[in-house]
Amino acid sequence: MPNLIEVQNLGKSFGDNEVLKNINESVKKGQVICVIGPSGSGKSTFLRCLNVLETPSTGKVLFEGNSLTGISESELNNLREKMGMVFQSFNLFPNMNVIENIKLAPLRVKKISDTEATQRAKELLERVGLADKAEQYPQSLSGGQQQRVAIARALAMNPEVMLFDEPTSALDPEMVGEVLKVMQDLAESGMTMVVVTHEMGFAKEVADEIWFMADGSIQEKGTPETFFKTPKTERAQDFLSKILN
Amino acid sequence: MKKNKFFLFIIIFLLALIIPFTHVKAASDNYLQKVKDKGTLVVGTSADYPPYEFTAKENGKTKYVGLDISIAERFAKDIGVKLKIRNMNFDSLLVALETHKIDMVIAGMNPTPERKTSVAFSKIYYTGNQYMLINKSDAARFKKIKDFKGQTIGAQTGSLQYSLVKQQMKGNDVKGLAKLNDLVIALQSHKVNAVAMEEATAKAFAENNRNLKVINPGFDIDASQTGSAIGFSKGADSLVTAANKTIDEIKKDNLINKKYIPAAAKNMTANSKKKSMMNYWTYFAKGIEYTLIITVVSVFFGFVLGTLFALMRLSRSKFVHGLAVSYIEFVRGTPLMVQVMFVYFGVGAVIQSLPALVAGIIAVSLNSAAYVAEVIRSGIESIPSGQTEASRSLGMSQKETYRYIIIPQALKNIWPALGNEFVTLIKESSIVSIIGVTDLMYQMQLVQSATYKGVIPIFITMVIYFLMTFGLSKVLGYFEGKMKHA
Ligand SMILES: Nc1ncnc2c1ncn2[C@@H]1O[C@H](COP(=O)(O)OP(=O)(O)OP(=O)(O)O)[C@@H](O)[C@H]1O
Ligand SMILES: [Mg+2]
Repeated sequence: MPNLIEVQNLGKSFGDNEVLKNINESVKKGQVICVIGPSGSGKSTFLRCLNVLETPSTGKVLFEGNSLTGISESELNNLREKMGMVFQSFNLFPNMNVIENIKLAPLRVKKISDTEATQRAKELLERVGLADKAEQYPQSLSGGQQQRVAIARALAMNPEVMLFDEPTSALDPEMVGEVLKVMQDLAESGMTMVVVTHEMGFAKEVADEIWFMADGSIQEKGTPETFFKTPKTERAQDFLSKILN
Repeated sequence: MKKNKFFLFIIIFLLALIIPFTHVKAASDNYLQKVKDKGTLVVGTSADYPPYEFTAKENGKTKYVGLDISIAERFAKDIGVKLKIRNMNFDSLLVALETHKIDMVIAGMNPTPERKTSVAFSKIYYTGNQYMLINKSDAARFKKIKDFKGQTIGAQTGSLQYSLVKQQMKGNDVKGLAKLNDLVIALQSHKVNAVAMEEATAKAFAENNRNLKVINPGFDIDASQTGSAIGFSKGADSLVTAANKTIDEIKKDNLINKKYIPAAAKNMTANSKKKSMMNYWTYFAKGIEYTLIITVVSVFFGFVLGTLFALMRLSRSKFVHGLAVSYIEFVRGTPLMVQVMFVYFGVGAVIQSLPALVAGIIAVSLNSAAYVAEVIRSGIESIPSGQTEASRSLGMSQKETYRYIIIPQALKNIWPALGNEFVTLIKESSIVSIIGVTDLMYQMQLVQSATYKGVIPIFITMVIYFLMTFGLSKVLGYFEGKMKHA
């Protein structure tokens, strides 16, 4: 399997605060990676560096072999299209209803016809179980429903990879399941995914690989079985014992 | 670094201010030829000074009339061109002449030595005495200059009467106002105890108001200073010569006393017979029309420019950002009145044909743009960064993000503030009246001079402004409600 994303010597500082330190990793096509680690360890920053919402201070991020840094805005936009992103706080556009949220980028960026965009949006809403909410505005939906719309919106661009930043952390507990279910279906359909999460159950069941992050670097990685049963580093053992108790 | 740029900006701005005034002197005197080439003689006056110049209604149309206007008409005819009257504050006349907005000034103006340093005057065409207008109730108290000890005297700013009072009534306070009408209101409400006025004008006011009286307080007058003459640009000798010829002919036939003053008197009595405000509704209607035109056009351009400045201010380029900040701060830090005058007289000196209405609209738009820019910027900054991130992560460009995501949401948030700016402009635009744009405020002054009534036109104008702003607020409120439900 070829590398879809390659991270080379990635570093990121905010002023004096060095948040990411010399990260070298790669994501293969079809892989599901779960990134876990303590709060403030740099997980979000790492994920945001992958599609350059945060510009790396040092190093490189390659997508399908193309560098995402040092390129023009329009080249970057073309690459970002292929990297869907889902945020903790959903970030749906409140000035548009559900189906408009989903159709916007396909219409404006891919410039497909309205019929085609509508057709595709409806399929996606079906897929996330919200076919009946097409005309509603985001404010009138529950958190779980909003997050599923956000996933559908990202999928509408037919991305090669989906990046999730704690997609269930802002949800009431009873809504976490419906979102994880959609993500699990997505993983099973073969989508490449990088998921920052605190849902250990999901990580165990769905991930191909766990990346454990602390102090701005990936300290340890492995399959869910080996990582959760026999964590090698002390930081990971510490982290796991804290969240499992 | 930032400071330097700001200074540079200020310096450029000041240069722009000075340059227009530095090259106004023509090498040879082709002033008369220029007027003939244009085919029109543009005459500046201050039409609240009967019988010299004032307005009257004829067949429903407002006309400038009075002995000065008759002389100007005759002069234009003599040199074979059309006459165009530009009405403005007396104070602004000489600036307008200097900046070549007008070809000549005829406004009962006395050729004082101070004025002669910057203006070329014709011969004196008419000499009147300097009188005082007082309340009839004070007639027993005030007869001569010495009776006014400790009293406040009103006079038109920049006028001969103003300097007479200053020089010969040293113990008195002088209250200077731009409009005679306002001075008369001040007199009637005892804010001033007398208004120094030229004889004919004072008599006109007294004739039209039972409670006022005219006295001759015995100013010590140098005959050469009390006569009225026509003012031209310094160096416009060809125009002066032509005007002197016309004046000689007028004097030879004694036209001023035989024809012009009687005609003016007729217009004055015609005016005073039509004192009911109903006769002047067309004045107000025209004023409303212009106020609305200025406001609507300025709101539009203010919004477009304001959006531009807001985006510039949010730009990552330090230069573009600095430019926008300098502009916004500068405009917000100077009075609209000064800006209006700067655009009309300053910019107008470069672009000679800039009409007052256009100058007014430009100034108000530019002013509004600075305020709108700040409203829009705050609207844009109030949109959470997550919105931009979501949009950019979908591959949308910065421009598309602004267009489809940020601006629509920002507009919805700032709609009330923008509406407020609209309402504010209706009121603020009244300042353009100082450069002679016939907006509601200006028309009010015309009605005041036509009717010799001070307060009622003010009251009517106030009510009209209120109805406009209140109506607009209601309409905007209705749409605001609609947007909330969308
Ligand atoms: N835009 C920013 N400016 C300055 N500092 C930042 C910025 N974004 C993140 N940081 C800092 O970077 C560090 C890592 O933050 P990050 O959000 O990546 O952590 P995280 O692992 O996602 O934590 P959490 O689990 O709480 O979401 C923190 O110390 C944070 O304060
Ligand atoms: Mg985070």
